[in-house]
Amino acid sequence: MECLNDGCPKTHEEDIMDIPLDDPEANKAAAKIQASFRGHMTRKKMKEDKPREEKRQEQK
Amino acid sequence: MAPKKDAKAAPAKKAEPAKAAAPAPEPEVVAAPPPLDLSTVKVEFTPDQQEDYKEAFGLFDRVGDAKVAYNQVADIMRALGQNPTNKEVRKVLGNPSDEDMAGKRLEFEAFLPMLQHIVNDPNKGTFDDYVEGLRVFDKEGNGTVMGAELRIVLGTLGEKMTEAEIDALMQGQEDENGSINFEAFVKHIMSI
Repeated sequence: MECLNDGCPKTHEEDIMDIPLDDPEANKAAAKIQASFRGHMTRKKMKEDKPREEKRQEQK
Repeated sequence: MAPKKDAKAAPAKKAEPAKAAAPAPEPEVVAAPPPLDLSTVKVEFTPDQQEDYKEAFGLFDRVGDAKVAYNQVADIMRALGQNPTNKEVRKVLGNPSDEDMAGKRLEFEAFLPMLQHIVNDPNKGTFDDYVEGLRVFDKEGNGTVMGAELRIVLGTLGEKMTEAEIDALMQGQEDENGSINFEAFVKHIMSI
């Protein structure tokens, strides 16, 4: 099952390191990076799905 | 009888000016940003571009009503080469509730100015932005971040990613030491 954003227990060994959870600048930078990653993954998935999608569209 | 303005028991004599011509109501937006006015956005896409966008838009229409669900809009924009944050998408959609996100549908003509607004955003991330953003986590200053560390950052900061999203993203990116050269990583991300 996919781990939901707010309920995920992150019990890695490394979680003692200083992640700036409250720093607005760090969060802003993270959000920007995450946005680019999400964009990339969507486009990658679209590329992979394209042949299948086009067939489905033709059948509409 | 103390003439207190306690409008609980007494019938509303001095009702708040509901129908009276009140001066411009104070926007009681404390936390929420003011709603975006899309009517000022001029759609500048060429007819060819609009045709491409319409095609992509159509791919997402699973119902056949020439509309897409609000919660698909982020992905359509990403498919069209944009990288909006989820927050930015919610903003152009008019800060919909979760129910609206799941239930409301949007037609193409309404989508276009939203897309234009995102395209026009002067704060869009560049290669340098992303590299510098990741450099913050380069503990040793050698151009690499530990995959494990990046996973934690992606899952706890900003618009947290799920484990599944992170796994998909990181697939094949870590070297044998579990490190990631972040410049190469960003190049890879931006190549699609």
